[in-house]
Amino acid sequence: MLVQFYNVSKVYPNGVKALDDISLKIDRGEFVFLMGPSGAGKSTLVKMLFREELPTRGQIFLASRSLIRMKRSDVPALRRNMGIVFQDFKLLENKTVSENVAFAMEVTGASPRDIRSRVPEVIQMVGLKGKDQSFPGELSGGEQQRVGIARALANRPLLVIADEPTGNLDRDTSQEIMELLFDINRKGTTVVMATHARELVKIAHRRVVMLEKGRVVEDNPDGEALL
Amino acid sequence: MKPRNLVYYFREALKSLRRNRLLSLATITTVAICILILGLSVLATLNASNLVNRLEADVEIIAFLDQDLSKYEISDVRNELISMSGVKSVEFISRDEALQNLQKNFGQKEYNLKETLGKNPLPHSFRIKGEDPRQTAGIARKVTAVEGIYKVNYGRGMVERLFSVTRWVRIISIAFIVALFFGAIFLIATTIRLAIFARRKEVYLMKLIGSTDWFIRWPFFIEGVFLGAMGALLAIAVLAGSYGSLVGHFETVFFLPLVNNPAILGRVYLSLLAGGAVLGVLGTWISLNRFLDV
Repeated sequence: MLVQFYNVSKVYPNGVKALDDISLKIDRGEFVFLMGPSGAGKSTLVKMLFREELPTRGQIFLASRSLIRMKRSDVPALRRNMGIVFQDFKLLENKTVSENVAFAMEVTGASPRDIRSRVPEVIQMVGLKGKDQSFPGELSGGEQQRVGIARALANRPLLVIADEPTGNLDRDTSQEIMELLFDINRKGTTVVMATHARELVKIAHRRVVMLEKGRVVEDNPDGEALL
Repeated sequence: MKPRNLVYYFREALKSLRRNRLLSLATITTVAICILILGLSVLATLNASNLVNRLEADVEIIAFLDQDLSKYEISDVRNELISMSGVKSVEFISRDEALQNLQKNFGQKEYNLKETLGKNPLPHSFRIKGEDPRQTAGIARKVTAVEGIYKVNYGRGMVERLFSVTRWVRIISIAFIVALFFGAIFLIATTIRLAIFARRKEVYLMKLIGSTDWFIRWPFFIEGVFLGAMGALLAIAVLAGSYGSLVGHFETVFFLPLVNNPAILGRVYLSLLAGGAVLGVLGTWISLNRFLDV
């Protein structure tokens, strides 16, 4: 098991109950959609995966390590095993495509030689060959998200976490991004994706975890029957 | 810290300084003004304490001897005075010397005191200095009790008042400097917080990508130290220039001697430079930690 949630609850200091007794397991190599209306707790759950938020109750294990007992100083090492894809891409505007991807490796202290060989590799993988010297402002939304995905892949993560990765993209572009994520999953990387986009989930035939009011209301191995 | 990262840290710090040119300039100016005021008050304190030291060193006890003591008796008194604890020096002033001193104070050669007075009315005396000027009153009391001494003069009341004034001068100037230092830290923290705020998304991203806190901190620290040191250098240049010309032109202000020892002034300027760098570090530290809590 890669991810294990045991009876996880989260109450924010302002009293909002975001998660209510959630138990969930995700195996290595799985592709999991997290679905549910706004405020269902998707974001909180995603943030717990990379330990931006800690639960008020319950236990979370990632690759058999407890995130709750983990020391603050061990968090960077944890996050280096993950790639995070954001709805708003979070690219650095003053860096080129290459530099944005290289940045993810630089901050982990990778050697310049590794960076030089890995960066073109992932840029090609996401289909942006030839655009490596462009700046984010010169790219379309879909292309920017590809840069985001390339950056997430740069450190060869065990787990890719995508939080509404198609939220800012049109339908066709969303489909292309989905294909890219499926492709990454086929190569062995576990992917967890939070989304609103029913039509994407419907044709994907992947596991769907449905949240409502902080609880898991459905966990279906093939989303089609559900929707 | 890996040497490879060191290059990265300096590059990032430089980039940020260039990118936020206006803000960097504002911070340098802020630091410069703070250090300038700090430096001014340090120099003022230095001169005040120099003056206080001189005044304190001038505090002495004059012990007048009975008129009819023999040479041997005078020598006995002297030995007794020297053996007292806290006494630094004892100097014998004969009645002839005392008269000459008095004559000198009147300053007019043609006015012959000895002739006017007919005979020398002054007694022999000892000029006594204590190791610590603050103990003067205590020593004076003991000296009064020595046989063969009929009167002791040490500026009673004056001395006590002088010490209470100088103590307050010291306390107030230290309090002033401490207050200024904290004010400067606050100002720099605010300025650097703006610089970090402009880059908070980048910092957040770095945290989520898995960089360590120190990896994020170092460039900001280098930036902070640079800004602090530059501001301090600016202030020191102004301070050294104007103080130097002040000393060069006047040497004294209102008859107070100015400190003009290059070693002491050099130490003051170096401390101010270090102070600027420390301000930069503290300001950055205060501002940064909040953004690293992700």
